[in-house]
Amino acid sequence: MSSEGLNLLEVRDLTRRFGGVAALDGCSFAVEAGTITGLIGPNGSGKTTAFNVITGFTRADSGEVLLDGQAVRPGPGPMYRHGVIRTFQRARVFGGLTPVENLVAAARQPWWSFATPRTRRGEHAKACDLLADLGLATVSGMPAGRLSYGQRKLVEFAAVLMGEPRLVLLDEPAAGVTASIVEVLERHIRAWHERGVTFLVVEHDMDVVARLCDPVIVLDHGRAIACGAPSLIRADPLVLDAYLGA
Amino acid sequence: MSSMSLVRGALFFGVLAAFPYALDRPWLLDIAIFTLLYATLASAWNLVGGYAGYPSLGHAAFFGVGAYAEALFYQHRSAGGGYGPLVAALPVGVVVAVLALPVAWIAMRTRADVFAIVTITLLFVVQSLAYNLHGLTGGSQGIALPAPPFDPAAFERPFYFAALALLAIALTVSFLVTRTKTGMFLLAIRADEDKAESAGIRVTLIKLVAFGLSAGLTGAAGAIWAYYVAFVYPQFAIDPLVTIGMVLMTYLGGRATLWGPVLGAFLLTPLQQYLAYRFGGAQLYLVGYAAVFLGVMTLLPQGILPTLTGRGLRA
Repeated sequence: MSSEGLNLLEVRDLTRRFGGVAALDGCSFAVEAGTITGLIGPNGSGKTTAFNVITGFTRADSGEVLLDGQAVRPGPGPMYRHGVIRTFQRARVFGGLTPVENLVAAARQPWWSFATPRTRRGEHAKACDLLADLGLATVSGMPAGRLSYGQRKLVEFAAVLMGEPRLVLLDEPAAGVTASIVEVLERHIRAWHERGVTFLVVEHDMDVVARLCDPVIVLDHGRAIACGAPSLIRADPLVLDAYLGA
Repeated sequence: MSSMSLVRGALFFGVLAAFPYALDRPWLLDIAIFTLLYATLASAWNLVGGYAGYPSLGHAAFFGVGAYAEALFYQHRSAGGGYGPLVAALPVGVVVAVLALPVAWIAMRTRADVFAIVTITLLFVVQSLAYNLHGLTGGSQGIALPAPPFDPAAFERPFYFAALALLAIALTVSFLVTRTKTGMFLLAIRADEDKAESAGIRVTLIKLVAFGLSAGLTGAAGAIWAYYVAFVYPQFAIDPLVTIGMVLMTYLGGRATLWGPVLGAFLLTPLQQYLAYRFGGAQLYLVGYAAVFLGVMTLLPQGILPTLTGRGLRA
């Protein structure tokens, strides 16, 4: 793939079995710093399990996760503090909190922040700016549980940015939302990419992948079978075989 | 908003401070003391059961440990002027909070119904210890505390004001929790703990803070109670009914609200004391408890305050 040292994230030989099924089966791939890398594959190919292992929600049976070439022990909290922050397939926001509070809760903070005021002026302003950028200014004060699914996806995305991430893992950002929200998301992914944030995107919508991602990693049966530019991937016989079946 | 809360609080405590002078009847003050203690207990439980969404059924254990700590410290001492043992409730609360932390650290690895079972187990373990550690607790014979040298005509007053002061502390703690990130983090943990962790919230720390505060207040209430009733026995000091009272009052008034647990305690404790007095040993008030529980579940699943203000709990 790419030369050593430029890889922000690398997974080596990840294996994870659920009963008799190997969701990940010797899966290795790398995400280069400064890219928007796509992670695609047929249903059940291990994309979400890979996300869960990288972020520590699922423990791998074997294999390792490296950040900047250093092996790390994944865990949701530690990965956040390493600057690796994810979204979830079905947008998960804190329904009883407002979007502003959702963002403030997800901001990078020292451990003693629990004893500080609920929302400080600077945090409030930063959260409001981010929400306004995403077109959520009018709903920033209502309970997030009352927002539409698309709006919740945007809130979740904004909350990730609030954590000053280096690497953002997006789990199907375009699934289940309207074209206009997909457009807003795409625009912001590009904008933050330009500011130096790296993205790893699981996505089923191939048009979105083709527009956004380069390179694209293809998973099949729990292992990476190809990696390259979207146009090359589309022509790869192994990939066609995985999708169309043989 | 904030000044409104302060005005409301000042009014509430002003009225309660005047109460013993306006209605100076020992039996009324007796009910009032239990009401204030239960208001503290319910407010304390609310920190863990309400804001954090961890339904502890073991809080009576901390109440009991507080009661026993007070009793053990004073069993061979004199009460002096009588006020020392009341003030001692505060250090007792601190001790109970510290003792609760390792327990919480383990118990809070479980969630929801499993957590409820783990904590109720804790309750029976502590009760069993109180029965069987004869050398320490005197077993079922209990421990006597020194008699307070208060004027019999105004015997209840010092206890009343101590309970009132403790309630003020409990409400101040709850208020500060809601006004700091602790409250926000707790609501996030209740809504979705895994998500909270991946959003960088230090969930273990926040849960321990909430549990420590909660257990400490509960233990302090136990200390005042022990001194007031003058004897601690395992079956009364570590009583599942204390837990049930805390939970029920919080649910009735409104979980995760500042005043809900207080309201629940002010409604239920006098009722419970009255029924216990009317029907005596028959414990018919337990039937009343069950009825209230069913009523709350079916008619007011959010509790009184959230229903009134239209601000329901949202997952």
